[in-house]
Amino acid sequence: MTDTQTQPQHAETDDARSDLISRVRTILGRRTEGRAVALLSVVVVITAITEPIVFTSYEVTLGRIALIGLVALGLTAVILMGELDLAVASTLAVSGVIMASFESITIGILAALGTGLLIGVVNAFFVIVVGINSFIATLGMLFFLRGAAFVISGEAPVRLANVDAGIAFGRPLIGPLSPRMLIFIAAFVMLHIFLTRVRAGREFYAVGGNREAAHDAGIPVTRRVFTGFMISGFVASLAGVINTLERTAADPTAGSAVLLASFAAAIIGGVLLNGGRGSVFGTLLGASSLGLLQVALTLSGVQVDVQNIVIGSVLLLAVITDPSSLRAAAGSMRALVRSRSGP
Amino acid sequence: MTNDTSTGTVSAPKPAALEEKLEEQAFKLSAWMANQGIFIFTAALILFAAVFIDGFVSLPNITDVFNRAAPIGIVAAGMTFVVISGNYLDLSVVAQVATAGVVLIAVSNETSIPVAMLVAVVIALAYGLVNGVAVGVFKANAVIVTLSTTFIGLGLLRWATGGSIYFGPSDGAIRAFGATRIGPLPLAMILFVVVTLILSFVLTRTTFGFMVRSFGSNREATRLSGVSTPWVVIGAFTVTSLAAMLGGFVLAAFSNTAVSAMSDGYDFRALAAIIVGGTSVFGGRGSVLRTLLGVVFVSVLTNIMVLSGLGFGIQQMAIGLLIVLAVSVDALARKATGA
Repeated sequence: MTDTQTQPQHAETDDARSDLISRVRTILGRRTEGRAVALLSVVVVITAITEPIVFTSYEVTLGRIALIGLVALGLTAVILMGELDLAVASTLAVSGVIMASFESITIGILAALGTGLLIGVVNAFFVIVVGINSFIATLGMLFFLRGAAFVISGEAPVRLANVDAGIAFGRPLIGPLSPRMLIFIAAFVMLHIFLTRVRAGREFYAVGGNREAAHDAGIPVTRRVFTGFMISGFVASLAGVINTLERTAADPTAGSAVLLASFAAAIIGGVLLNGGRGSVFGTLLGASSLGLLQVALTLSGVQVDVQNIVIGSVLLLAVITDPSSLRAAAGSMRALVRSRSGP
Repeated sequence: MTNDTSTGTVSAPKPAALEEKLEEQAFKLSAWMANQGIFIFTAALILFAAVFIDGFVSLPNITDVFNRAAPIGIVAAGMTFVVISGNYLDLSVVAQVATAGVVLIAVSNETSIPVAMLVAVVIALAYGLVNGVAVGVFKANAVIVTLSTTFIGLGLLRWATGGSIYFGPSDGAIRAFGATRIGPLPLAMILFVVVTLILSFVLTRTTFGFMVRSFGSNREATRLSGVSTPWVVIGAFTVTSLAAMLGGFVLAAFSNTAVSAMSDGYDFRALAAIIVGGTSVFGGRGSVLRTLLGVVFVSVLTNIMVLSGLGFGIQQMAIGLLIVLAVSVDALARKATGA
C-alpha cells in the first residue's frame, strides 16, 4: 500500500531533479567560459601553494589583470563579429607616443583617444568597405602603425612633459584601487551592459553569428562593424594612455607582449574566433588567469623569454581546444582513418 | 560619422547608369592591376631608382640588393604555398629563420656542418608539423596559431642562447658560401633562383601542388573529391618551414654570424613580396614566379629608402602600407570578376 503511494512521489521528485539537471546543463552548455574557469582554477590553486605572495601583493596582480584585460575587452567587441584586430598592440604604442608628444596632458590624452578612434575607422573601412579579410588588413595596419610610432617618437622613448600628473595617476584612488583599475572596471561594466542590454550591442552577436541573415533582418551590418573596430581602437588607445601615465614615458616598442596575452585572454575566455559567441565576463576570467599567471611567473624569477613560451603555449592550446576546433579535429581524424582503410 | 561612410557611395549625385559604368571601369582597372600591375610597377621602380637615386647603379649596391633579397626571397617562395592554400601567412618564419641560422653556426662550431643541417631540418619539420596540425587538423586560425608559435619559438631560442651572438670560423665553408659570387651574383642569389624554380615546379606540375591550389580555391570541394585535406595543409606549412630554414642558412652565411634577433621583420617583408607579386590572400590564385618578382620589387624599394637615408620607422610604414594597398587592389579585383 505504502509502496504504491510513494512510487509516484518518487517519480515526481526524480522528474523535478532531472528537469533541474537538464536546465543546469542547458545553461552550462550555452556558456562559453568553461576553459577560462578551468585555467583560472588551476592557476589559482598552483599559485596559492607555490607563490602565495601573488595574492598578498594584490595591487600588482590587479594592475596586470587590468593591463591585459582592457585591451582584451576591446578585442572581444571585434571578435564577437567574427573579425580580428591585430593592430591593437601598435595602436597602444602609437597613441602613447602621440600623447607624450604634447605639452598639455589634456590635449595629449584627447589626441591619443582620437587617434585610436581614427585607427578603428580606417581598419573598419578596409574590412567592410574594401572587403579585405580583417586578419590581413589589421596586420598591415600593425606594421604601418609600428613604423609610425618609431617615426613620431624619433626611435626613442618619449618622456611625459608633466611627470607629476603621471605619478599622481599611479596612486590608489579608492581603497587599494588605482585609477587604472577603476577605468578597467568602468570599461568592463559599460561593455557588458552594451553587449547584453543595448540593442546595438546585441546585434554584434547577430552580425558575428550569420552576417547574411543579420543583413536580411535589417541590422546595419556596416555600421556595427565600424562601431566594433572603433571600440577596439579606442580601448587600445586608452590602454596606451594609461601605460604612458603610469610609466611617465611612452615607449614606441610597447605592446607586443600585451598583444599575445590579450588575444589569449579573449580566446580562452570563450570568445569564438568565428564570431557570434562569447561574453565580456569570459574575457575577464581569461584576463584574470593570464594576469595571475604572468605575475606568478615574474615573482618566481622566471625570465621573460620563458614567460613568452608559457603564454604562447596557452594561446596555442586555447585555439585548438575551441569547441569548433575539437569538432574539426574529430572530423579530420575520422577522415584520415577512413582514407587509410578505404580502397 | 559611421553613417556617412556606409551610405556615401549610394547618395552620389551622378546618374545611376554613368556611375555604374565608371564603377565597372574602376573594377576592371583594379583587376588588371592585380594581374599585370607588378610587371609595370617593378620596371618603373627600377627605372626610377636608376635615374634618380645616386649610387643605385653600382656593382657593390646591386650585389648588396641581391644579398639581402636572397634570404627573404627563399622564405617568401616557401610561404607562397601557405598563402595559396588560403591560410593567410606563416608569422612564425621569424622564429624559424633565426633558429636555423643560430643552429647552423652554433652547432657546426661544436660538431660539423652536416650535423648542424640535420638538426635544423628536424626543427623545421617540427615547426611544419605543429603549425600544420593546428591549422589543418584542428582548423584553427593560421594567424593566431603562427603568432603563438612565433612567441614559443623565439622564447625557446632566446632562452637557449641567452641572446648571444654566434660567429662562424673565418675560413669555414659557411663563410665561403656567403662570400662567393659569380659576377655581381652572390651564390645565395643563385640558390634563391634555383629554389624558386623547384618550388614553382612543385606547385604547378605535381599532384601535391595541384592539391594546395585546389584547397585554396575551394576547401569543401577538395575535401569531397577525396583529398586528405589535413595533409595538404601540413605539407604547405612544411614547405614553408624548410624554405625558412634555407633562408636562415643563407642569412647566417651572408654575415657569418647568427643571433636570435637577426630575422626581425621577415614575416611582413615576405608577405609583402608575395602579395605585391599578385598571389591572392584569398587563396587559390598565385605563383612562386610572381613571388620572385614581388621580392625584387620589395628589395629595390627598401634599397631606395635606405639610399635616400629614410629611417627604419618610415620603411616599416611603407611596407605596411604596401601590404594594405596590394590587398585592397586584390579585393576590388575579386569584386570585379565576381569571384
